[in-house]
Amino acid sequence: MTTCTVNGRDHELERGETVARLLERLGLTGRYALVERNGEPVQRASYPEVELERGDTLIVARPVAGG
Amino acid sequence: MNDTLTIAGRTFGSRLITGTGKYESFETMRDAVLASGCEMVTVAVRRIDFDARDEDLTTFLPDDVLLLPNTAGSETADEAVRVARLARAGGLPDWIKLEVIPDPRYLLPDPVETLRAAATLVEDGFTVLPYMLPDPVLARKLEEVGCATVMPLAAPIGSGRGLKLRDSIRIMIEQAEVPVVVDAGLGSPSHAAEAMEMGADAVLVNTAIAHADDPVAMARAFRLAVEAGRLGYEAGIMDEAETAQASSPVAGLVTQP
Repeated sequence: MTTCTVNGRDHELERGETVARLLERLGLTGRYALVERNGEPVQRASYPEVELERGDTLIVARPVAGG
Repeated sequence: MNDTLTIAGRTFGSRLITGTGKYESFETMRDAVLASGCEMVTVAVRRIDFDARDEDLTTFLPDDVLLLPNTAGSETADEAVRVARLARAGGLPDWIKLEVIPDPRYLLPDPVETLRAAATLVEDGFTVLPYMLPDPVLARKLEEVGCATVMPLAAPIGSGRGLKLRDSIRIMIEQAEVPVVVDAGLGSPSHAAEAMEMGADAVLVNTAIAHADDPVAMARAFRLAVEAGRLGYEAGIMDEAETAQASSPVAGLVTQP
C-alpha cells in the first residue's frame, strides 16, 4: 500500500495522485486550501501537476477566524 | 470624510482594521465587518481538522475586503516565515501580519525574532505589518528592513485596557515614516478615538467588537470613533492649560457695580 500522511493521518494514494486530486478526495473544494509538502509550501497554480509520493508528509491548512 | 490610509501603495477608505476572531458566528462577524466599514481584516492560518469540518470563513467576507493573514501561534521567526510562505503559496495575499509571540500569559511579541522574520519576509517579497511592543528604536529598525507599517500594542491582546503604553506610542508616531497602526488592547471606542487623536494612522480591533453585547453596533461605534478621532487630529487639538480660561466675556457684567 502506498501511503502518505495528511495532517498526521495516513492517506492511501491513488496512482499518480496530484495535490489537486488529494484535495478533491478530501472534499476540500473551497476557496483556500494551503498545502505544505515535506516542509515546503506548494504553489496553488501547481496543485494539478505536483504528484504525491509514498511517505510524503503533507499539511493542509486554511484561513480561520483570528485577530 | 475624504480621508484615506495608504499602506505599501494601497489606499484604504477606512482607518479601522478588524480581526475576525472570537465571534459567536460567522454571520455576526460578517455583519460587524460591514458595519465597521473596514477594508482589511485579519485571519489566522490553521491545519484543517478533518473531524470538525466547519464552514469557510472567507466566504462570509465581502470580496473587496483585503484578507491579512497573521502568523499567530508562531514562537520563532522560522515558524512565522513558514506560515507566511504557506499562506501566500496557497493563494492568500502576500500581505502578512507578523506576530512572533513566545509568551502565552501576556502575549508579548519577541522583538529580536520579529525583526529577523520581518527582514526575511520583506526580502521574500511580502508586505509586512509587524505586531510589536511600542519601542521607537525597534520601530526604526523594522522600517529599515522594509516593513510597510509598524503596529504597536496599546495593552496586551484581548485585555481591553486601552492605551497603557501611550507615551512610547506617541514617540513612535512622532518618528515613524510608515503608518503606525495601534493594534491590540483597545477596549472601547474612546480608546480608539484617543489613539487616532494622538496621530495614529489606523487601529486594529478585534475582541472589543467581537465580545460586545451587540458586536454589530459596537463595530459601528468603533467606525465613528476612528473617524471622529482622526478628524479631531486633523482639525488640530487645542493646547491644555493649567487653569480655567473663561469662554464668556469677563467685561460688561450685568451685575457689575
